[in-house]
Amino acid sequence: MKQAKFSFMTVSFLVALLLILGSWYFVIAVEKASLADLFSRENVEYASKFIKGLLGIGVEEIAFLNPESWSDAFVLTIETLQMSILAIGFSTILMFLTVLPAARNVADGSLTLSRGWYRWFVFGFIRICYILSRSIPELVWAMIIIFIFKPGILPGAIALALHNFGILGKLCAEVIEDTDPRPMRNLASAGAGRAQILMYGVFPSVLPRFLTYILYRWEVIMRTTIVVGFVGAGGLGQEFKLRMSFFHYTEITLLLICYVILVILADYISERSRFFVK
Amino acid sequence: MLSFDLHKRKILTLFLFAVFIWSLFGVNWQAGVLHSGGLDAAAEIFAAMFSPDHSLGIIVLALESSWITLAYATAGMSLALIFALIIGILASGVLASGKQSHFAMKGMFRGVLGFMRAIHELVWAWLFVASFGLSPYAAIFALAIPYGGILGRIFADMLNDVPEEPIKALRAAGASKLQCLFYGYLPMVKGSMLSYTMYRYECAVRSSAIMSFVGLGGLGYHIQLSLQDIQYDEVWTFVYFLVLMVVLIDGWSNMIRKRMV
Repeated sequence: MKQAKFSFMTVSFLVALLLILGSWYFVIAVEKASLADLFSRENVEYASKFIKGLLGIGVEEIAFLNPESWSDAFVLTIETLQMSILAIGFSTILMFLTVLPAARNVADGSLTLSRGWYRWFVFGFIRICYILSRSIPELVWAMIIIFIFKPGILPGAIALALHNFGILGKLCAEVIEDTDPRPMRNLASAGAGRAQILMYGVFPSVLPRFLTYILYRWEVIMRTTIVVGFVGAGGLGQEFKLRMSFFHYTEITLLLICYVILVILADYISERSRFFVK
Repeated sequence: MLSFDLHKRKILTLFLFAVFIWSLFGVNWQAGVLHSGGLDAAAEIFAAMFSPDHSLGIIVLALESSWITLAYATAGMSLALIFALIIGILASGVLASGKQSHFAMKGMFRGVLGFMRAIHELVWAWLFVASFGLSPYAAIFALAIPYGGILGRIFADMLNDVPEEPIKALRAAGASKLQCLFYGYLPMVKGSMLSYTMYRYECAVRSSAIMSFVGLGGLGYHIQLSLQDIQYDEVWTFVYFLVLMVVLIDGWSNMIRKRMV
């Protein structure tokens, strides 16, 4: 047994090393990307122009010194905040609807003490949905969703929700799988029905962990809102793309400032509320 | 005060619920949320899900672009790991000698890590492309910076959570700070570092797929092209390749985790 353990880890290590070397070889030799080209005189000139543009050097209208653009950006920031909350709300609702049958110990009946042949089918189906939804990135979801919905914060929120639904579902199903089954058995032997076991046994023990994961995903969503905006899903991202194509670089700086403030705020709020429920 | 403590959780739940309701008002429901042909498009996309394009040309193209995506992710991740190890160890403050330098180091390097991860990888990519032009390095650095930030922060947290006693024993035996790091801290957190890195690698593959949105090659590029041609069946072929890659890496990291526990 010890031998097998050793060899698997060695093989993994070698594969990882091979992958790293292979991809660097591919980037450097096949794609002919050279680091020196990156800093050629032309590029350095472009880059310095771009950075000067961002800082507003030699630009007539500097957006981040203009109160009017600040108030416009503020509206967009609120919109982005709403989008992130909608996204986490939708994915939480979907997760709550599906998480119970997706836990292995519910599927085999050891947690709720009830069995049924169809449970494994439901389990498999939901797990496949989770895998599919979480392995497709938000941006791809957004590109697809934008064909169906009108541009605005709703398609962005739905795209973010679809991706995070899979992740939240997987994380929370694992929480249920890790719960102590003894209190549930006790409830069951005292004559509690299935709904009662869920309400008084399962939920109280898993909800704090769920909340932690939900807040953690919210932080990540906050960071990603700007990305789904790129394809027309509203908020700061949409404006970012627009300004980028008009070469309004000082506006970009302003939007980035708002974005970073939002991200830091989200980090802070989620940390405080996690502390609050401890 | 006691009753407040008891109801903290309910208060928070109520508050979160209220915030969700507030954000629902942000959507313009009156104007209608669907395109006029939106439902038909949804039906077509859903139907195409079960009949992906499996002609040889598309499969070969998908394989090629999968490799590009994987290569960028791997290269970016290897750089991120180096960043994370260096900055993470510095940010954990285990190398600092005095109390004051401990706080200074922690504050400074944690700030650096926070800045690195605050901005999404696609925004980094866009900034790099705007300033340096289309080059694989734009994708690799754009991945390496935020991932280095996230990994570094987690590594620093892990190093700070190491139990004190073995370190104290090492110190008592006369080990220097650097020796403590190599023989005390690192061996203890090696396992959790590895499994977290594997998890992040899976995320990196997804991120590298969307790098193509700013014009860098890979799976996302073809997904975008096919979507613009309204070839939903091709879109799903590329998406399935991405799903397959993510599932494979997930399985690999699960196997590693099982063998380490």
